[in-house]
Amino acid sequence: MCGLLDQHIIEVLIPEDAIARRVAALGKEISAAYGTSPPLLVGLLKGSALFMADLVRQMHIPLEMDFMAVASYANREQRQSSGAVRITKDLDHVVEGRDILVVEGIVDTGMTVGYLLRNLKARKPRSIRLCTFLDKPARRILKIPIAFRGFEIPDRFVVGYGLDFGQLYRNLPYIGVLSGDVTGLQGGKKMLEGQKSS
Amino acid sequence: MAVITIAREPGALGEEVAARVAGSLGFLLVDTSTLARFWREMDLDDASLEAADEAQVGGRDRIDSESETSVKLLPDLIAQLAEEQDLVVVGRGGQGLFRDRPGTLHVRIIASRSFRVRQVQLQTGLSAREARRQVSEEEKRRSRYVRRLYRLNWEDPSLYDLTLRMDRLSVEQALNVILRTVQLMDLLQVPKRLIVENLLPESDEGRGGGRFANETEREFARFLEFYRIPYLYEPRTFPLETDEDGNVLEAFTPDFYLTEQDLYIELTTMKQSLVTRKNRKVRKLRRLYPEINIRIFYQKDFYNLLAKYGLLKEN
Repeated sequence: MCGLLDQHIIEVLIPEDAIARRVAALGKEISAAYGTSPPLLVGLLKGSALFMADLVRQMHIPLEMDFMAVASYANREQRQSSGAVRITKDLDHVVEGRDILVVEGIVDTGMTVGYLLRNLKARKPRSIRLCTFLDKPARRILKIPIAFRGFEIPDRFVVGYGLDFGQLYRNLPYIGVLSGDVTGLQGGKKMLEGQKSS
Repeated sequence: MAVITIAREPGALGEEVAARVAGSLGFLLVDTSTLARFWREMDLDDASLEAADEAQVGGRDRIDSESETSVKLLPDLIAQLAEEQDLVVVGRGGQGLFRDRPGTLHVRIIASRSFRVRQVQLQTGLSAREARRQVSEEEKRRSRYVRRLYRLNWEDPSLYDLTLRMDRLSVEQALNVILRTVQLMDLLQVPKRLIVENLLPESDEGRGGGRFANETEREFARFLEFYRIPYLYEPRTFPLETDEDGNVLEAFTPDFYLTEQDLYIELTTMKQSLVTRKNRKVRKLRRLYPEINIRIFYQKDFYNLLAKYGLLKEN
């Protein structure tokens, strides 16, 4: 952990081998849950990409894959013009009557996946369940039913294994804690312009 | 609770009078040393308290965000203390902070310039010239503090219920005038209900047309709207304490209610160490209304939210 990529990683929270073991176990668990009915796995881009790729290779049942992407709150320009979340990449499959497994990289506030679940439910699938690689319950605002989870993690700012900060760090093979110098959280002293205490 | 604010010209013996009033009535004296003690209890150092004062009076056009936070915390701290006990507040813009608050007496202690310079000389051993300069600088500093924090002219006589000229009064006499005024104004008898009502959130109109109290709430509302989460802003005030007649003595109004989640959210951008009183209210709310789901969104939660979307660095 001394390269250009991980110089701002202050701690390895989940090492590569632990990820591999857990994903293998999850693959078996989910395969058993779906039995002979091939589920449609819906990966939420881009955070779930690496997890999805590893997970499906540990699931030894017939399945189909698809991906969705939604606009991020991070994009201020989009936020100001559209004013609301929207799907930027929709499914290629029809989900009505299907067993859907939404695959997410991390659930923290639950806002993004909550929106996605609402959207998919409206398409009348037979069942819809959520699998998340990481669950950070300390940050939760919306109640999200999680059927399968890789790891429950503490309230740390994590990147790697598909999770980014500013679109970087996704290719780290482990889950690492990013330095506050990079996120802006160092010292926790920065505030919005004009912000007041309340 | 009752509050007596003491604005004093430098060298006019205001500190001495305030200490005697607090002692006679058994009120908490809120002066620099008391504030420093509370400041330290909240894990903040004296330097940040000085920085808060310096930021207000230093004449700088722009105040950095950290000092601005501390500056806002001082009035918050004093206002919170006034919810819990009777106070004598020395300086610190008390006449602005508690301007129209029921159960409050605003006193101004003045004296002729020559009297005040002489007092400063007696207390410090400075020459007359040096004492005059110190008095002038301190006058400007106090004037700037009140103007900057509350946009008030501290010499405006309408800010005060009582003005005492110390050339003609001893500290003892000034004390007695104040004690008599407290008695005549029934300051100790003002119903707590009136004071609490004064502390309840301002109406939308009171915020100059703005819907939210601050930028944090506005950003959080934008965040909810972005994800199409239905919410109501300050939809309900929960009485926490009532008197025998059913009058509300203590109340709490959470900032947001997420209707689909049946969840109240209270935002606070105070430092973690400063939210104990708010936590106490929330605990009380949960005890009294066990069916209510409420979550406090702390400063660190908000920072994390901003950081997650890469918005913290932009600020």
